[in-house]
Amino acid sequence: MTTPTPEGRDFRRDEVIAGEYVLGVLSADDRRKVEARLASDRNFAAMVDRWQSNLSSFDEAYDAVVPPPRSFSAIERRLFETARPEPVTPRRGLWNSLALWRSLALASLAAVMVMGASLASLFEAPSAGTSLVAELAGKGTAIDLVAHFDRASGRLKVTPVAARQAEQKSLELWLINGSNPAISLGVLPQSGEGEIAVPSAFRSRISTGSVLAVSVEPLGGSPTGSATGPIIALGKARNL
Amino acid sequence: MIEEDVAELLGRVSLGDRDAFAELYRQTSPKLFGICLRILGNRGEAEEALQEIYVKIWQRADRFSQGQAAATSWLAAVARNQAIDVVRARKPAANAIDEAYDLADPAADPEKSAVVRAEGRRIDACMEELEKDRAEAVRRAYVEGLSYQELADTFAVPLNTMRTWLRRSLMKLRECMER
Repeated sequence: MTTPTPEGRDFRRDEVIAGEYVLGVLSADDRRKVEARLASDRNFAAMVDRWQSNLSSFDEAYDAVVPPPRSFSAIERRLFETARPEPVTPRRGLWNSLALWRSLALASLAAVMVMGASLASLFEAPSAGTSLVAELAGKGTAIDLVAHFDRASGRLKVTPVAARQAEQKSLELWLINGSNPAISLGVLPQSGEGEIAVPSAFRSRISTGSVLAVSVEPLGGSPTGSATGPIIALGKARNL
Repeated sequence: MIEEDVAELLGRVSLGDRDAFAELYRQTSPKLFGICLRILGNRGEAEEALQEIYVKIWQRADRFSQGQAAATSWLAAVARNQAIDVVRARKPAANAIDEAYDLADPAADPEKSAVVRAEGRRIDACMEELEKDRAEAVRRAYVEGLSYQELADTFAVPLNTMRTWLRRSLMKLRECMER
């Protein structure tokens, strides 16, 4: 056996430690040591990268399992909620009635309209505020929405938190005032943030106490002009 | 997962594109959740780990640079590291790095540098050159995130024997892949 040079010895030792790190057999303390060195030693980092790509074919052993929808909502909440310019977190108090709304989430649109009628009457007449926000939550469904209405521009911005379940479907947004028939405000974009330009004729109808609901419809929206699919989320507008 | 799509999505995520992040999650979360479940063996912990993983992906996407690592293996590494950190915290393992290594392997070539070079072979061919139980130990260490102690228990060999197995196997794999 040849006596290795000190450099060679270190190199080999480093290769082994890099490999052990990627395999995952090291203790927590040792993992932190390796990571500290990763940050400062590019050669060593290259060894770890190389093991990573060498061993990555073992990743095939992992079966894909779809995580529950709440996972992505939780991630978005952690990453974006505090950083978002508009206050989307409901204040306590008034919005404690959210629990009531959640319990109703799967009710039929007809039931929603009745509730909308009785509850809307408890609130004041349309307010002159410029912005309204409603949180639309459905119990046991994949989706939570935040609707933000800017009266000045007539823009109604809807942010689906996890809308990916309805891939071959469209989500349609409805406005319900009292016992009037639900008015379609349009179909939400399939992903990301949705903004709908509210027809000017309907703008004055969105006020405190208006109920916003989202239903699952065939791709492109309801063929009949009224909601045909299940209501997956609804909520009441309040002043921002 | 389609590699190019994932790499492109990661690039957009590094620019703060939330739509890209949602799409990346849609495409990759089943695989990464599968990794968490396999290593943690517990749905609740796996869900928590998955959250940590995507928070890290959002925060560190800029560290992913194309060409060094494939996007999917970078993501899998983020997931495995998180899951392994959780199991190690739950069940501490003995430290090993300060111990003297007992590796009676052929001497290293001092001319050799650590510069990453193209690999001559795939890992699978080199794994076949290892003795069966050692190759199995390497694979299970990686896939299940087992510690040296857990591997020693699983293979019913003393802890030091398992260390020697894996360290020698790593040296052999490295040598084989550079051949």
